[in-house]
Amino acid sequence: MRRAPVFTILAAIVLVAGFCAVVLTGFGFREPSAGDIDAWADVARRTGAINVVSSIYLNARLFDTLLEVLVFAVAVLGVHFYLTARGRPEPVESIPESNVVRIAADILLPPILLISIYVVLHGHLSPGGGFSGGVIAGTGLLLAAIALGTDTVTARLGPRLLDRAEWGTLLGILFLAFAPIFAGRPLLSDLLPAGTPGRLASGGSILLYNALIGAKVFVGSWVIVRHFVDHRGEI
Amino acid sequence: MTAQLVLLALLPITAGLALLQRRRLHAIIGMGAFSLLLATVFLLANAPDVAITEAAIGAALVTLIYVLAIRKTGRLTVAASETPGLIGREGEQIVGLEWEILERLAADVGLDLVVQFASPEEVEEAIRRGEVDIGAGGILASECGENVLRTSGHLPTARFAVAGPRSEPGGKPAAPFRGELADVIDAVRRGAPVSATLDLARFLALSRYDLDAYAIERVEGDEAYVFVLPPSRRDLHQRLAEILARLAETGELDSMIRRHFP
Repeated sequence: MRRAPVFTILAAIVLVAGFCAVVLTGFGFREPSAGDIDAWADVARRTGAINVVSSIYLNARLFDTLLEVLVFAVAVLGVHFYLTARGRPEPVESIPESNVVRIAADILLPPILLISIYVVLHGHLSPGGGFSGGVIAGTGLLLAAIALGTDTVTARLGPRLLDRAEWGTLLGILFLAFAPIFAGRPLLSDLLPAGTPGRLASGGSILLYNALIGAKVFVGSWVIVRHFVDHRGEI
Repeated sequence: MTAQLVLLALLPITAGLALLQRRRLHAIIGMGAFSLLLATVFLLANAPDVAITEAAIGAALVTLIYVLAIRKTGRLTVAASETPGLIGREGEQIVGLEWEILERLAADVGLDLVVQFASPEEVEEAIRRGEVDIGAGGILASECGENVLRTSGHLPTARFAVAGPRSEPGGKPAAPFRGELADVIDAVRRGAPVSATLDLARFLALSRYDLDAYAIERVEGDEAYVFVLPPSRRDLHQRLAEILARLAETGELDSMIRRHFP
């Protein structure tokens, strides 16, 4: 039997505990003050979004978010480029999954997709948004891939549709960022009216950005998984 | 404040537990639990957006990707031909001396065992092509092919030639038996002509049937049962050899043999 690395574990625990102590004393864990709430109400009035975080990264700091989406697109492109160059290996027989996994995936997939749509569309009202909603939907598809095999899932979704959606959503996001110019407004500003805070149709363009980013993350994460499966063997 | 403190204290404990797991699936579940705890900490720190992302990516996506990654590497696949006493099915369970040794190996390397039962030829083929990690089930040291790794024999054995029935004129010379034991047993029960060379474990299973009409002869030479591994699994071969040596040293192997061959 190998000796348990007691010293390493102890050191790790001390480090993590120290980090937690810093977090505890330094910041966080405080109730929002009246000033905070005023500031948030101000943001909500200006952008029409109740979720302050999404009003910052999809309105005030939209430029940063656009570059982040570009980083993700470049990552997908890199995977596509380098793995396509490797060629397809001999198809490996996938290990069949047990009934438990297949039935669980069947039952879980619809609610997972529904939750992801809710999280995306309510991004400006409640925590969530395109990034986390897209990841949730991608996770649901990955679950289906474990249960059914990636080939079945790809066939059902349509491989060409996925590749086009990948670039279509990116173009859509870029178009949405540039579109205000045609309406005589500055770049990266809102296209839609702010609306009444708290309603689904509010928050200006945040809803549109969330929907496009959600689709982009969903399709992108699936494209990455599929390329690895196609060119590096069945998962 | 107490809830936050308890959660923070649980974080390093969960991380440590995940690190200490021997089985990879358990370690992955531990990491998922860690992420979920962390998401709760974020939620209590008034950061619900970060919490939802941590839960979606850390607890769900990354966990699933790890599960996918260990599907292939997290299993130890064994190709075996069923041999009574060595490795075989008994109802839902797999039993036998070689199975017990393989279970020790699996526990030692922290992997799950998956057994595919096949004929001896198929086992040999699967090992030669590197499709499985270990070949087992009454493989004789003298019979395993070239270019494979084999362990030292864990059980000495002998070979017996069975031919007959005697009334058959001439009686063909015994060919090495390479098929399923069930076929030979079936032929013996029907009294059909048989010409096969069986190792001791298979011969013992056959001797439960009426062999009076058949000529039985012990084949000269010392034999031993071995495991075979594809040449690419030198690391695993080393581990299995270590385990076999340890079992032989402590006398555990002898008691295991006595249990399976009373």
